[in-house]
Amino acid sequence: MSLFAFDSLTEEEKYDRFLERINAGEKIEADDWMPDDYRKQLLKLIPMHGISEIMGALPEKEWVPKAPSLRRKLAIMSKVQDEMGHGQLLLRVAEDLMRPLGKRREDIMEDLLTGRLKFHNVFHMEAPTWGDAGVIAWLVDGAAIISQTMMLTTSYAPYGRALKRICAEEVFHAQHGEAIVMALAEGTDEQRQMLQDAVNRWWESLLMFFGPDTSKRTGNSNQDKNIMYKLRTKSNEELRQDFLTKYIPRIHSIGLTVPDETLHYDEEEEMWVYQQPDWDKFKQIVSNNGPRSQARLRLREISHENNEWVREALGKKQTMQTASV
Amino acid sequence: MEKKEHIDAFYQEFEVFSRKNSSAPMQHQFSLLAPNHEMALVMAKENFMRREPVGDIWVVRRDNITKVSEEDKEMLKRMDNKDYRETKGYGYLKKKWRQYEQQMLDEKEIMSWAGGIKRG
Repeated sequence: MSLFAFDSLTEEEKYDRFLERINAGEKIEADDWMPDDYRKQLLKLIPMHGISEIMGALPEKEWVPKAPSLRRKLAIMSKVQDEMGHGQLLLRVAEDLMRPLGKRREDIMEDLLTGRLKFHNVFHMEAPTWGDAGVIAWLVDGAAIISQTMMLTTSYAPYGRALKRICAEEVFHAQHGEAIVMALAEGTDEQRQMLQDAVNRWWESLLMFFGPDTSKRTGNSNQDKNIMYKLRTKSNEELRQDFLTKYIPRIHSIGLTVPDETLHYDEEEEMWVYQQPDWDKFKQIVSNNGPRSQARLRLREISHENNEWVREALGKKQTMQTASV
Repeated sequence: MEKKEHIDAFYQEFEVFSRKNSSAPMQHQFSLLAPNHEMALVMAKENFMRREPVGDIWVVRRDNITKVSEEDKEMLKRMDNKDYRETKGYGYLKKKWRQYEQQMLDEKEIMSWAGGIKRG
């Protein structure tokens, strides 16, 4: 179809053609025509994903100075650096989507600090021991890998390309996590206990990570729309089930348990049965009322403020007119 | 002499990039001479994309590309001492997991989850 013909279509015809394209497996580029609603869904998803990578580096960063050996220190430092890199990739994808709306990176940072932009529940939590560092890299990253690989086939091409780079690096993160966990699991009784405590501490957050199964639990969910737009292929619950399928046998194999006596696989239903996490608590946590929410936001704010002179020195000052577009 | 100068100004060097499909990275193909961006795009297609499938093409004026100097290329060289950040530093886990009758989640396994883990 020539550009001239496309321009002469009505909004409804453009929308139909857009759905036809994504249903045929075609991918959408940043400059392609897209319905406002599609852009809106992407902007709910991608800035949150990007900023979560950056906020996610903070609990692990706490363990860089305290890592038990030089090798572990180098490894966790590399992982923190990767997470910041993932944030940079995703924020670039978000910025290109926001440009037509006159918004930029500064707005993303501001939205984070004012609480308009939320970050993943897991990064509001405490990481008090080295066991937590291991469980974060093994299971929190494991959960993130399940959801990120699922979106590799997303209909939005720039997001898919960012995820491809991210998932390739996640392989190292998963193995770094396995290495820490394996060493503790094969260590002294105290080390094993520390690891078990960390698993207990993280269990509810891990279940929450995938989001509620239906919108009834928290009052809103974008999953149906995102499946229609082919941004994702699986529901929250399907992802949680996949996570349990991949990780429960591994957790049990090294002698660890999860703090849920009801957890079992129902052969007939072909489903994991588990105790629902407290979704009211989830809402509280992602509204920046988790145990470490304010401290980590403050950390982000301090580094944003401290680096302001660098951004100013390196960048050309924008005139008021350009900045207000 | 006069004529030669005219031709040099008329043609500019363009570097050509393309990707096979929307999930592939942009790949450098080669360079060409063209009088403007529009012609460069047409010629890129004719010169370098006669057979292979192609999803997108970029042409960039060479003047607009910043390169690493010969001297600075020395800094790009790496020492082979970073296996803690590569999967090869964790190969021993494969054997460990086998002792627990589990498989290691390696690159092959993880990347096979693309588009969602297949059930069953």
